[in-house]
Amino acid sequence: MLFINEAAAISGLADTIIKGGVSLYNAMKYIYSIAEDDFYNINIKDAFKVVLNNITDTDCLQGLGLHIDSRTCAEMQSEEYNHVLALMVYSLAVRIPTLKNVKINDENMTDDQLYRLYNAVMEKGAENYKDMIAETFLETKYLVRKGKKLQPFTADWYKTYIYTYVPELAEITNKNMFLLGFADVLFAMFYSCLEEEIRNKMTEYTADNLSEVEGK
Amino acid sequence: MDNSIVRFAVYDNTNFYKIELSRTLLHFTEFDFTYFWEQCIEAGKTARKTGRLPQNIVSGAKTVVGRAHPYIEACIGTDYSEIVTDCIVEYICHSERIGLEELWARCISPKNPYEEAIFRRISEYKANRAMNRWTSIVRLQEYAKNKMNFIFDTDTIGAKLSDDTIRARKEYFDLAVSVAANELGCPGTALPSVKLCTPATLPNAAFVVGKVSKSIYRRFSDDLAEGGDLSAMEKRDCSKIRDQLAMEAYSYVKGMERPNEIEMNFALETFRETPAELYYPDSLKAAIDLEFELMVRNKIYMRKCENCGRFFAALDDNTRCDRVNSSGKTCRRQYEELVESITVEARSSLPQGGENVSEENAETANTMHISPVSSVVIPPPEVREPVVVPKETEKRAQKLYNALYKRVNKGIDENEFKEWSQYLSNMKRNLKIGEATLKQYEEFLDYSDRLAKEVKLASKNKTVHAPVEKPFDMRNSSGGSGDTGENTETSAEITEEKDTSEDEFVEIAQLSEKIEKNSARNIVSESPKVPQVEGTVVSSDNIKVKPFTPQAFDSVFDAMQAGNDGEDGESPKKKEKPVEIKKPKWERISREDAFKDKDEE
Repeated sequence: MLFINEAAAISGLADTIIKGGVSLYNAMKYIYSIAEDDFYNINIKDAFKVVLNNITDTDCLQGLGLHIDSRTCAEMQSEEYNHVLALMVYSLAVRIPTLKNVKINDENMTDDQLYRLYNAVMEKGAENYKDMIAETFLETKYLVRKGKKLQPFTADWYKTYIYTYVPELAEITNKNMFLLGFADVLFAMFYSCLEEEIRNKMTEYTADNLSEVEGK
Repeated sequence: MDNSIVRFAVYDNTNFYKIELSRTLLHFTEFDFTYFWEQCIEAGKTARKTGRLPQNIVSGAKTVVGRAHPYIEACIGTDYSEIVTDCIVEYICHSERIGLEELWARCISPKNPYEEAIFRRISEYKANRAMNRWTSIVRLQEYAKNKMNFIFDTDTIGAKLSDDTIRARKEYFDLAVSVAANELGCPGTALPSVKLCTPATLPNAAFVVGKVSKSIYRRFSDDLAEGGDLSAMEKRDCSKIRDQLAMEAYSYVKGMERPNEIEMNFALETFRETPAELYYPDSLKAAIDLEFELMVRNKIYMRKCENCGRFFAALDDNTRCDRVNSSGKTCRRQYEELVESITVEARSSLPQGGENVSEENAETANTMHISPVSSVVIPPPEVREPVVVPKETEKRAQKLYNALYKRVNKGIDENEFKEWSQYLSNMKRNLKIGEATLKQYEEFLDYSDRLAKEVKLASKNKTVHAPVEKPFDMRNSSGGSGDTGENTETSAEITEEKDTSEDEFVEIAQLSEKIEKNSARNIVSESPKVPQVEGTVVSSDNIKVKPFTPQAFDSVFDAMQAGNDGEDGESPKKKEKPVEIKKPKWERISREDAFKDKDEE
């Protein structure tokens, strides 16, 4: 795919993926804080609407009046839980080869471009901590090339990680059950919205867009 | 101690505020929020362009709304801090006819701080963290008015209600709200309430009486540092364990002994400066209800003014208020002056000079002379009885008012309209106090009818309406009793002039009707021969009529001459040239000059 400035485009797309990961990570924390004080005050549908309409806005749920602090999210303050951020970004990074299917002006990203994008994301801190995520970049690339269907983006790895390494969140409590139930729905919806966002960004970065801008 | 003033404190504020019983309530119910509303709209429009709310306008608007009630003023930095945004949200929803949900969805991905502010505020409404304070104030103003009416209004003006009746009415009103809330499933504890506290038992006492609190803290700081944490209870329902919490706190200070004399004196000085009794309302409604309650308790009642019909604090037996009305005087003063003028009139109507007075009259005269102004005998009722105006006549007056108001600056000047409406209100006032008759009122309405037609015609033809003469002087029309022999001649002249102009009015009204009919016919038949409009004057070629312009004369002689012309059969209205309006020449003359001719005669 021909970008106006390839390096900038790769960096911009990597930023979008990273921001997406952070946004998902923060969303889980904000949602957890709902269970503390606002269980009956905040409509969970509103929370979904806000997160999915602001994929790259990492603190968009503040607008709903939610706050993350040591009281409302005490169980998420552990060091083990902090690794979830790197895992979340990694889970998105391994799916970069699916961008091969995105065509803009009958062009799609080359394998080289996709690999550079993956590396850029990995360099910014993505990590498969304790190999929690079974998928890899190469595996996804293979499946895309063969035209096979990928497994849906789910919260399975997230729940496994919590049950294994974050005992505070693994306890059966009202708050924890609410969190895990929310994660199941949010992960799937979030990924499809992020794909849409990346597609928009790619359109922005293509050369065709530049000619339009220059024409104006 | 002054019972008419009470003090209160609010959450998150260490100051004390005062409520002046009955005055605060009256001020709130009569507060005009128009300026605040306009400021908010202005702020909203600016924010739409710049992306953020202009802070100068916002703070100005907040200052304005803070004046409506001391509770709003006390909470302007907390509960009412977003009142401008609330007002803007309300305005957008109202003007664009959208719901809050739609506006919220529009701002879900805010592009600037203004949209973000709106989004945040609506999110707060949705999460029951806040309510629209602006709409709340408007509803509470209506609530206060209705409650005031319910408690203090009487079927007959001036009637006095017993203390028990007033209390029963108030309790009944409050109970009605409680019953409705109960039936709707709202717990009583969720409704607004007021606590009676002392400075030391206020919920934020540690901050309100800060200096003494600090010295106490110093004494127990070591024990308190090692104590447990009760902060987790902050957001939980603690209504069932209040005593337990209090005893938990008390356990840290139970070994307390009296402080030394210096410290005790310091505390004494501090508490001397603070009010002994403080109310702690948790909402504006609670503050309003508190005022009603204390008014009833202290027997500070309200009464409807016999003149203007508005409530006022009934501190004495007076039935008229101290508000300045359209006459530029207070209702009370106006009444007093009226009584005085009647007294003077009554005195002057008595025969002067001792030799012609009969014995009986002389006695009366002496009595009248001796009696003070306050005990003046009210004139005979047949003259001063208020005139009952039929509803149809009232409706007619209202219709005329509406018709003329609609055409301000279109067919009638603003000043002319004001003058006319002032006449109308004066006439109504005179009817009320029995100084004018129904016939006079109807005559005035007849004249106004003609005026309305004239104005309608003028606006239709896009002509500038000519100034209209008044049919008669209201001041001279009051019963005619004020006319004396001295000004009879002048009155006659004026009457002549009046007759002339009234005749002219009738004729013009008839012509106007004709023109209207003609134009209606022309519209129906789509004939091009519509009365032509040239500039500001209707062309006389087709219909031989000009817009009404009153005749102006340099002197009374000219006026009489003009009248004679009419009598001779040469009607001045048939002249094709429009009458030239000359400005009257006024000359200031001394009193001596004015009466010189008369004296010579």
